[in-house]
Amino acid sequence: MTPRRGWLPVATVMLLAGCAALPSMPPPIPSDTVPTVRATPTISAGSDALSPDGFDAVRRMAVRIRNVGCGEVSTGSGFALTATTLVTNKHVVQDSARLQVSTYDGHDVDVTAASTAALADLALVRTKEDLPSSPQLAATDPRQGDPVTVVGYPLGGELTVTNGHVIGTTTDPLNATLGQVLVTDARVEPGSSGSAALGADGKVIGVVYAKNDAGYSFLVPVSTLRAMLDDKTGFQPAPTCAG
Amino acid sequence: MTRTDLPTTPGAAEPATGTSLAAAPAAEPRARSRRTTVVVLAVALGVALAGSGALTWYLLHVNAAWQQHSQQWQALAEQHGADLAQARSDLESTRTELQAVQDQLTTAQTRITQLADEKAQLGDQTATQQQLADYQARVSKAAGQVATALATCIDGQEKLIGYIENSAQYDPQSLASYRQDVQNYCGQARDANASLQAELTK
Repeated sequence: MTPRRGWLPVATVMLLAGCAALPSMPPPIPSDTVPTVRATPTISAGSDALSPDGFDAVRRMAVRIRNVGCGEVSTGSGFALTATTLVTNKHVVQDSARLQVSTYDGHDVDVTAASTAALADLALVRTKEDLPSSPQLAATDPRQGDPVTVVGYPLGGELTVTNGHVIGTTTDPLNATLGQVLVTDARVEPGSSGSAALGADGKVIGVVYAKNDAGYSFLVPVSTLRAMLDDKTGFQPAPTCAG
Repeated sequence: MTRTDLPTTPGAAEPATGTSLAAAPAAEPRARSRRTTVVVLAVALGVALAGSGALTWYLLHVNAAWQQHSQQWQALAEQHGADLAQARSDLESTRTELQAVQDQLTTAQTRITQLADEKAQLGDQTATQQQLADYQARVSKAAGQVATALATCIDGQEKLIGYIENSAQYDPQSLASYRQDVQNYCGQARDANASLQAELTK
């Protein structure tokens, strides 16, 4: 290639390079510049955490139990274990002529049967209608210092939620329950018996059954409750005052 | 220098003449090359002028397009700014409404809990009153049984006294049997009284 002919490709390349360096025309304005953001609800639909009336699961699981005996009326608390089974204390349901259960919103639930445990202050009550909500049982007992929430009907009054911590364990001062029981500083009163004691994750860690003069509450630990539930003969029909 | 050098003299002059004759053809290509160069340069200059003109037109066109583009983006940004302001206003309004609804829900929940408690207390009172009514019914029934048994006992004793006063008129065996019946009536009265006392002590 002669020098005279060689300038043509060079000039072509330079021309193309120059054209490439030129600013291009602006792109068209997009019709929609708003990004699509997918909303993430904090509470999923159908969740058990919130009911249509706004009550949380902690309150919806609680029930009030009226023991109409032969000559006296007493009240206690309980909580749903399944849709038609609730847990309470043996001393709440025993010696009754009739048991009456009501929910957090005042609905009455018919009772079909009651049974009590021989080795712990625990009882199961079967209901005809479904209960509003049932919690999960914790896999293990809580440790000292763990937070505890008690939901029940102290003094047979309004549904109340109290908080405290696990103080430790001890033998049952009432000799109603075998093994160790939990001691907490959550405030309870007569009528709180059978209340669910919940851990930080909302799972049941025990069942309130007693208190002492120092203001400490005593719980049947969830491990005992699980053992009683696993034992086919753990619960027998509750004794009635009619005999 | 010898003669022989003489013939070389014209020869020496020839190269001069030859040189003179040879210079005329060499100047022509140079002139042609110069003209060619001028033409090429002129063409190149023309092309360059045309190219720069086209470039200038293109750059002005691009500049106008980018200015319009910028104005469109600015208008879009202003529109989005207005939308954002409206959305923020709507959000604040919704938050206020949500707070009001939450307050109402809390009030409703509190009221539901109170009503549930009032219903439970009424149920307790009803159960207690029912038990009291049952108790009073049992006491009344026991008192009635006591009164009936006592009346029977007293009536029997009065008759028995009369029979004993005229015992000669009656068969002693029948009299003894009647005495036993009276004792049974009075025993039933004592039992009824014991039941009444038991109810009263409950």
